[in-house]
Amino acid sequence: MNILICGATETGYMVASQLYRKHNITIVDDLDRLPEKFNNLDVSFVAGNGADVLVLERANTATADLFIACSLIDEANIVACWTAKKISEAETICFIRRMELYRNLASLSQNRYQTKYDIDTIIWPEQLLTQDIFRIISVPDALDVEYFARGKAKLFEYRIKENSLIRNTRIMDCSFPENVIIVGITRNHSLFIPTGSTTIEIGDKVIFMGTGAALDLLAAQFFRNVNVIKTAAVIGGGSVGFMLAQKLEQAGIKVKLIEHDRPRCVYLADNLKRSLILQGDGTDIELLESEAIGDSDVTVCVTNNDEKNLLCSLLIKQLGCERIITRVGNVRNAALFERVGVDVVVSPRDSALKELLNRLQAKDVNILAIVERGQGEVLRLHLPEDFTETLVRDFELPARAIIGVVKRGRNVVIPNGDTPLLPLDQLIVFTMAKDAEAIKSVFAR
Amino acid sequence: MRLVAIFNALGIILVALGVIMLTPISVALLAGEHASILPFVVACAVSAGLGLLFQWRGGFSRDFDELKRSEGMLIVTLAWLVTGAVGGIPYLFYGLGPIDAYFESISGFTTTGATILKDFSPYPHTFFFWRSLSQWLGGMGIIVLFVAILPQFAVAGRQMFFAEAPGPTEEKVTPRITHTAKALWLIYILLTVIEVGLLRLSGMPLFDAVCNSFSTMAAGGFSPHPQSIMGYQNPTGVWIITLFMFLAGGNFALQYRVLFQGKIRALAENEEFRLYAAIVTLMSLLLCAALVAGGAAGFNDGLRDGFFQIASIITTTGFASTDFALWAVPAQTILFTVMLVGGCAGSAGGGVKVVRVLFGLKYLKREIAQVVHPKAVLPIKIDRVPVPEDIQRQILGFLLFYISLMTLSALAVSIIEADAAVGIVGTAATIGNIGPGYGAIGPMGSFGHLSDLTKIIFIADMVVGRLELIPFLAMLHPDFWVFKR
Repeated sequence: MNILICGATETGYMVASQLYRKHNITIVDDLDRLPEKFNNLDVSFVAGNGADVLVLERANTATADLFIACSLIDEANIVACWTAKKISEAETICFIRRMELYRNLASLSQNRYQTKYDIDTIIWPEQLLTQDIFRIISVPDALDVEYFARGKAKLFEYRIKENSLIRNTRIMDCSFPENVIIVGITRNHSLFIPTGSTTIEIGDKVIFMGTGAALDLLAAQFFRNVNVIKTAAVIGGGSVGFMLAQKLEQAGIKVKLIEHDRPRCVYLADNLKRSLILQGDGTDIELLESEAIGDSDVTVCVTNNDEKNLLCSLLIKQLGCERIITRVGNVRNAALFERVGVDVVVSPRDSALKELLNRLQAKDVNILAIVERGQGEVLRLHLPEDFTETLVRDFELPARAIIGVVKRGRNVVIPNGDTPLLPLDQLIVFTMAKDAEAIKSVFAR
Repeated sequence: MRLVAIFNALGIILVALGVIMLTPISVALLAGEHASILPFVVACAVSAGLGLLFQWRGGFSRDFDELKRSEGMLIVTLAWLVTGAVGGIPYLFYGLGPIDAYFESISGFTTTGATILKDFSPYPHTFFFWRSLSQWLGGMGIIVLFVAILPQFAVAGRQMFFAEAPGPTEEKVTPRITHTAKALWLIYILLTVIEVGLLRLSGMPLFDAVCNSFSTMAAGGFSPHPQSIMGYQNPTGVWIITLFMFLAGGNFALQYRVLFQGKIRALAENEEFRLYAAIVTLMSLLLCAALVAGGAAGFNDGLRDGFFQIASIITTTGFASTDFALWAVPAQTILFTVMLVGGCAGSAGGGVKVVRVLFGLKYLKREIAQVVHPKAVLPIKIDRVPVPEDIQRQILGFLLFYISLMTLSALAVSIIEADAAVGIVGTAATIGNIGPGYGAIGPMGSFGHLSDLTKIIFIADMVVGRLELIPFLAMLHPDFWVFKR
């Protein structure tokens, strides 16, 4: 595939580094030459403004299959996508950083407008991140939460603690509710797919898949620490903090939001209905103590500074908060964050990447979720019409993978070895990222 | 401050007022009271003459387009004072002294409804018609009226419009000020006509229905009957008037939106209106309970009088369906509480205005929360929109000045009259443009026996209260009084 990336930014680098092995990538930016770090990628470069039609023609936009605009200026991205659409058939993906423009482009009401914007996909990493964080918060104690098939099937990730009922037990001996299966375990920061004889140990992060109701039952039986989230503290009032507070308000959760910039505080206070906006520094221990941040059911650190997020998280952990979710900008810091005690580490890059990769896959394959920072992937595979009925135990896949959910029409089935697979079934499959290619290749035609 | 502009504006207003003052003559002709023609002809002549004189002094210039804020305020204040004086001229012909005539006229135009009349019998229909008409003209604001009807004020009207009703929000229902003024008058006239029709159907004589409707919609309180609404012994009429008083105390711009722009939800979403409706309902039921418990009335009468009297006082109308000056102290206290509230901003009612009370309550709530969370950023929101700092300061200033002025006036009158009840309640009733108070100045009593000094203080209270203090406060600053030709 010919891919044109407009903007040699952090995002541009992330996209290029993900894709350059299999696709022809051209980068357009208004620079003399590419920034240093792009040099280890095998890409070509065209200097010039991405919104300039001459530059785009020079970059062979007409032959591009995919056009990704990810410069730092939203308006420039929109114009670039718009121009690309005029001179080529390319699918356009536009990165957006501001709420006002996102509303224009992504709202469902766009279809009502007289003419549509010429943009096929909008990606606003911070909004995607907000959704991810909110999903995780909404399930008490969970480290990761994903929904499939409109919420009929779910994925929960839990850490096994000292008092857990299932520690030091083999998976085949665990009395889980029906319709729940373990698809993955992370031990010492590496993910593997377990077998029935694998023993669950303290500190493991266990990934469950199953129907919504069954997982809720599981949560109630095995992980009942805090059953309902009532209060939340949010450190940092940027776009993510703001949108998250809005969502939490809608869910009836009491929010305390700490932000250090006075004008931003006023903006937040004006635009949020019930949240308590506190002006101050998230690392000001006196403030954290006097506002009893440690007593909140969950704390979310989403300032735009990794060091500050880490410090805040650790301080608040010391003050007694049970569940800390922290944003990390530099993905390489993520593992460290988890090692020193942050419960959940999230990154806008991951959220954006999932969305982007989804656009690139062949028609019959979708990436539904990325877990453990890319170590594992949840894929959706469509069985073809001419597929012959096979039992799950006899179904051959080229690499290790677990079929977590079978979606048949409107029904959701959690399979065991004796479940038959029929033509046109949708399989939601959990696999290691390194094996994902092999799995996909079976279906991608 | 340019004298030319002020003279011209006043001149134009006076000529227009002169023309309006001819309307009572039609009543005089219909009722066959030929002796009542002369007073209004004289008043018209004086008004028009003065108006022309002023305009001549101002060189008949029509250049108001760059009216300054302070000029607007001065014009508005002077317009009210002069209109009161001219409107008092007819009363002189019926044997009222100059101060009494001025008091009655100002009480009319400011929609206060406090009267110095002790005995209603010697006066003809035309006299009562003019009393009610002056309230009706003043109810929507005489400046709003002239902005609506006089094309000269098309541009300058803006300054004057907001100087007359300096509410916390600049509310315009249409982009252009003359259209807004016309829209407000349209609603006003429409409601008045409907009320006249309904009152007539309930059995009230046409003349009384018209006069009472004028007074109701203006939140005024002058009734041609010496015993106010109680005198008609018409329970249906009492409920009708209650409803229209309630509407008169609501924001007319809001009612315009509901009726003509079809935004029904605007009413339910307006926090001020919700509080207003809640206060009226709650206090009425409380008053009803107090009346029934005190043995002053049965449940039906208690409910009717409760709702009527609360609506009458909170909208600053001042009608009485019963002599509330005779009620027990608990019931009177409940009434006095709502005296301090007043109608909604942008209504015909006077007083502090519900929106300022609403703000005050939210301010207190914020201060309490700030004690617990010293670092919290807590904006005060009305209708989900934060109130800007300068408006907050202005409202707090208003409340403070209102209280200081009330205290001063109450002290002065208490000393002059040697009666604290007259001093306190009388001040509250005049500065809030309500009208009757308790005791000797109750709904069946009269302000007539008070000393001239008290009357002058009350006249000042009424004008200052009607203009919502701010133009008056501006005048206290020496820089306001810098004139040039």
